[in-house]
Amino acid sequence: MIIAFAVAPVVLVTLLIGLRGVAAMRTTSDFLVASRRVSPLLNSAAVSGEYLSAASFLGVAGLIVKDGVGALWYPVGFTAGYIAMLVLVAAPMRRSGALTVPDFAEARLASPALRRVTAVVILVIGGLYLVPQFRTAGLVLSAVSETPYWVGVVIAGVGVAVTLALGGMRAATYVQAFQFFLKLVLFIVPAVWLLVQVGPAARQEAVHPVEFTEFDHDTRVVFRVGTTLDFAEPTIVHIGQEERRVEGTWDVPQGTTVVFPRGTEVPELAGEARPGGDEWQRPLLDIRDSGHPLLSTWALVVALALGTMGLPHVIMRFHTSPDGRAARRTAAFTVGLLSVFYLFPGIYGVLGRVLVPQLYLSGATDTAVVALPAQVDDGWPGDMFTALLTGGAFAAFLATSLGLVLVVSGAISHDLLPGGLVRLRITPLVVSAVVVLFALSAIRLDAGVLVTWGFTVAASTFCPLLVLGIWWSRLTVAGAMSGVLVGLFTSSGAIACALFGVPLDGWLAILVAQPAPWSVPLAFATMVVVSLRGRPPSWSRTAMLRLHLDEDSVGTPADRLRALREGG
Amino acid sequence: MPGHKRVAVMSPQTRLAHSRRRARGRWRVPKLDPAGADRAATLYRRQRTLAVAPLLLLFTGILGLPLVFALFPALDDLRLLGIPVSWLALAVLPYPALTLLAGWQLRRAEQAEDRP
Repeated sequence: MIIAFAVAPVVLVTLLIGLRGVAAMRTTSDFLVASRRVSPLLNSAAVSGEYLSAASFLGVAGLIVKDGVGALWYPVGFTAGYIAMLVLVAAPMRRSGALTVPDFAEARLASPALRRVTAVVILVIGGLYLVPQFRTAGLVLSAVSETPYWVGVVIAGVGVAVTLALGGMRAATYVQAFQFFLKLVLFIVPAVWLLVQVGPAARQEAVHPVEFTEFDHDTRVVFRVGTTLDFAEPTIVHIGQEERRVEGTWDVPQGTTVVFPRGTEVPELAGEARPGGDEWQRPLLDIRDSGHPLLSTWALVVALALGTMGLPHVIMRFHTSPDGRAARRTAAFTVGLLSVFYLFPGIYGVLGRVLVPQLYLSGATDTAVVALPAQVDDGWPGDMFTALLTGGAFAAFLATSLGLVLVVSGAISHDLLPGGLVRLRITPLVVSAVVVLFALSAIRLDAGVLVTWGFTVAASTFCPLLVLGIWWSRLTVAGAMSGVLVGLFTSSGAIACALFGVPLDGWLAILVAQPAPWSVPLAFATMVVVSLRGRPPSWSRTAMLRLHLDEDSVGTPADRLRALREGG
Repeated sequence: MPGHKRVAVMSPQTRLAHSRRRARGRWRVPKLDPAGADRAATLYRRQRTLAVAPLLLLFTGILGLPLVFALFPALDDLRLLGIPVSWLALAVLPYPALTLLAGWQLRRAEQAEDRP
C-alpha cells in the first residue's frame, strides 16, 4: 500500500521528467543556454538536493536513537565541509574547466596515469556512498510494507538503472532544485506535526531521557538479521503464536518476529549501550564505545569537513555555474540551505528514542524516521505522514544515487576503459547491479557510518590533491601520485580492518574506525615531501595561477586567442 | 516548430558526461598573457591571505565546541526552555554561525576580485 502511494509517484515523476517533461516546457536552445546561466541560488538548491542523501534524511536520526545526541555532529560536519569548499576549492575548480577530479588531475599536472588512479579513487568513494543508499532504500521499503529486505534493494536498484538507461538524468538543474524543496517540505512538515501530535508527556520525556530498560508496552521487533541478545533474567517472549522462555544469551535467528510483553526487562545487545543512558545524553560521539568521546568526535568532524570537497557528484554540480564567482556563491548559499534542513534531524532523533527505542535491538534504527508517524497516530493521518516521509526518503535516495552512478560510470567508461569498449549507456546497469549485490550483504552497516567512510577516503586522497594542486605551484606528478596512493591505502586499509572486526581497544580503535586524523596529514606530508625532492615542469606556476584568474579579464575565447597572438 | 531538428535535452551533468568522450583532446601547455599573469599572481596572493582567517575560525569552532562539551559537562544539566543547553549548542548554534561565516568569507573573496 505505502509503496504504491509514496514511492511510485516519486519514481514515476522522475521517469516522466526524464522522458518528456523538460522538452515540453521550452525549446532546446533556450534550455541549453539557460542551463549555463543558472543563478547561484538555484544551483545551490540543486547542490543541496543532490547532497541530501538517505544518510541525511534517515541516517542521522537513526544514529541519534542508537548512539545518542552526539550523532548530531554528523550534520555539523556535512555543513562545515562547504565552508572549506567555499574557501579553498569552489572558484578555482570551476575556473580549471575540469568536471571531475580525474579531469582536474590531467588539466593541472598533465598525467594520464594520475587520471586513472583518481578514477579508481572515485570507484572507492562512489561504492562507499552508494551501498548505504541502496541498503537504506531496501530497509525502508521492507519496513513500511513488510516485504523481505532483498526485494526493497532490488526495487531500488532497478529504479536507478531504468531511470539512467532511459536517457540518463535529463532532469535538469531546476528539477534537482525542486527535489531539494520537496525534501525540505517532506521533512519539516511531518516533524512539526509529530511535535504537536505527540503530546506534552512524550515531549517532556524527549528532553529528559531515561535509559531504555523496560518495555512499556507489548513491543514487536522484526529481526531481519540474526542478533545475539543478553537477558539478565528469564523472560517470556512470543514468537508468532508460540510462547518461549529465554534466559542468558539468545541467538535470534534471521527473519524472526519477536513480541516482548509489557513490563519485561530490555535485553542487552553485545557491544552496544542501551539508548537513553548517561552516555547517550552527552553531546559527544563515542565511536565503538571506546571511552574517548572527545578524540572520536574530533576524528569525525575532521573527516566530514575535509571530505566534502572531494565528493565526485558534488564537484560535477559546480560546473553548472557560469563562472568561478558564481561557483563560489553557490558554495556559500549551500551552507545556508543545508543549515535549514539540518535543524530537523534532531527532532526525529529524540522523538525516536522515546517512541521506537526497540529498533536498536534489531539494528534497524535507520527506519526510525518512517516508523514514527504510526506510533503517534494509527489512523489515516499516521499513514499519510508515513507515506510522505517514505516518499521523501526515496527522493533523497534517488537524487544522490543517480548522480553518483553517473559519475562512477563516467569514471569507468572514460578514465579507466576508454576506447568505446564500455559504453556510457551500459555501464550504469552494471554499476547498479554490482551495488545491489554489495548492498544485499551490508544490511548490518548503518548508513551514516558507511557514508562517513566515503568522506574519509575523499579527505585522505582528493582533499590534499585539490588543495595543493590549487594553492601550491611546486606540486609534481610523482608527489600527487604517491600522496593519493598513500591516502587511499591507509584510509581504505583502516576501514577494512574496522569492517572485518580486527579487535582493538581505546584510542587505537577510534584511529582505525575513523582514520582521518592521521591519514589526511600523512597524505599531505607525502605529497609535499615527494614533490620537494622532484622538480616541477616549467609551466607549473602558470597552470596554478590560471586557476585564480577571474573570468572578466580573460574575456571570450576569441579575445583570449587575439591576446595570445598579439603578445607573441 | 517545423524545420527544427529534435535534440535530446538532458541535464548539464549527463550532457557533459556524454561529451567528455569527444571533448578530451590533447593536453596543451597552459598559457597566460603577461597582464593576465600579473593579475592572477596578485589575486592568488590576496585570496591565499584571505583564506587563513575563515579556516582558522572554522576549525576552532568545530574542534573547540567538543572540547567545551568535554570540559564543562555541567552544560548538560543547565536547561533553556526545558532543553539541555549543550543539546541546543550542538543542534542549533552551529548553523547560524556557519551561515554567517560563509556570508562573510564570500563578501571578502568577491571584494578582492572587484575592479575599481
